[in-house]
Amino acid sequence: MFDIKLAGENAIIIYFGDDVAPELVEKIAFYTEFLHESLGDLIIDIVPSYTTALITYDLNVVSHQAFCNQVSEALAKAIYVKQQHQSDMVEIPVYYDSEVGLDLDRLLSEKQLSLDEFIGIHSNQTYLVYAIGFSPAFAFLAEVDERIQLPRLTTPRIQIPAGSVGIADNQTAVYPIESSGGWNIVGRTPIDLSLNNKKNLNRFKVGHQVKFKAISRQKFLALGGRF
Amino acid sequence: MSFRVIKPGFFSTIQDRGRFGLAHHGLSQSGVADEHAYCWANYLLGNDADAAVMEITFGGCVLSALIDTGIAITGADLGFKINGKPQDHWQVLSVKQGDLLTWSAPKNGVRAYLAVQDGFQTKQYFNSRSANLREKVGSLIQVNDELLTRPSKPSDKGKTMPAWFKPDYTEALTLRLLPSYQYEQFSQQQRQLLFGQAYKIGKASDRTGCRLEGNAIKNTPATMISEGISYGSVEITTAGLPIILLKDAPTIGGYPKIGTVFSLDLAKLAQHQPGSDVRFELIDIETAQQLRREFNYFFEK
Repeated sequence: MFDIKLAGENAIIIYFGDDVAPELVEKIAFYTEFLHESLGDLIIDIVPSYTTALITYDLNVVSHQAFCNQVSEALAKAIYVKQQHQSDMVEIPVYYDSEVGLDLDRLLSEKQLSLDEFIGIHSNQTYLVYAIGFSPAFAFLAEVDERIQLPRLTTPRIQIPAGSVGIADNQTAVYPIESSGGWNIVGRTPIDLSLNNKKNLNRFKVGHQVKFKAISRQKFLALGGRF
Repeated sequence: MSFRVIKPGFFSTIQDRGRFGLAHHGLSQSGVADEHAYCWANYLLGNDADAAVMEITFGGCVLSALIDTGIAITGADLGFKINGKPQDHWQVLSVKQGDLLTWSAPKNGVRAYLAVQDGFQTKQYFNSRSANLREKVGSLIQVNDELLTRPSKPSDKGKTMPAWFKPDYTEALTLRLLPSYQYEQFSQQQRQLLFGQAYKIGKASDRTGCRLEGNAIKNTPATMISEGISYGSVEITTAGLPIILLKDAPTIGGYPKIGTVFSLDLAKLAQHQPGSDVRFELIDIETAQQLRREFNYFFEK
């Protein structure tokens, strides 16, 4: 059911499955929480991501072998129950326009969609957080509807403004801070998702659900959006 | 109560042990590149083991002391002087208000550490004073910055590291590698290529990763579903060359990893210039943990 491997002198990685799937992500979120509760004193960090969880632990108090045993025992005890109702839903307002969506026009012409059709497809569904990384608070969201999937740019841009909403294949994400990146930019959120705002520490977690909501230019500005 | 920055140097930051418990938000560990030199600096001053220090890379740095206090300089020999007079490393020194502290250029190693009594009291970000430029957490030290310190107490003047402990960073470097992550997925032949050659440290190396140049490993395993990266993981890129992921590295990544370098060897690596040779050899987990535990016990008492 799971496979534990060495990841470093004070780290192991648990493989929960081979294929990316929503049920697996929810399961990993549950097991991650469970391990925090049962072995919290030994654990320094847990990083869940798609099909795995990396755990770093305090090697001053527990050896590799002993820690692996404790993790196996804890996981054997954990009984996963599928969440009946998802309470953790994050809504992100997005101004979809070529003024801020650097790749929007190209995407619309390649996919032969009107702006409204595109917005409908991108914002009418719920996404799941599969991983957080790349940069702080950067949440990988999936799964993007096939009708609006585009591969990454061949040459990444050096500077993508904070708040930019991008698409790369079946994934979508918001760039919380200005950074380089190769995703297709289709809009921008006016809200600060960076960790400069301490509240954002708990905004996204792996397993959370996310929805985008289309807003007007006026609303974008009113919410503090900048060009 | 501070040091004023007259010249920040090529690349100087405040660092401490690092940032923990927040990796699931994408915040990397950060912290000092050379844990050995860092631990000695705080140990000599009797500081807390996680006190913040200044990490000075390559030199070109001038500070003015606005306080009387005790300091320790460890790590690289960057030609450190007080008021133009050369000073010993790896021992406690006194500075007086108005003294000029200068680091010129690398003589042995590349990263010097300046520890002050009780540690620098600069701004904390997520429970750590470490700057991580990739994440835009904190920043490079700038001219005219005031690096805050605490009021000084009588110092442990003269406390020094035994001579036979002093590292020579010009010695050839062999990195001990734990067979972790996708090690098994690399063939015998591919592993032999890794262990059988001397790589050169590439110019594009920084606090995020050390890029090695050498004979490429062919037909490496394909990129994978992104997974958590631990400190010292050795990615083999599509081009077949290793990148050793360091303190400022992203928390997840999708290249296959052939192993993880033992942390105290990463401390030595932090003192080697681009162009120097490195080799790999295997270490087992029991030995690595034993060595690291001994190191921790020494400094945490």
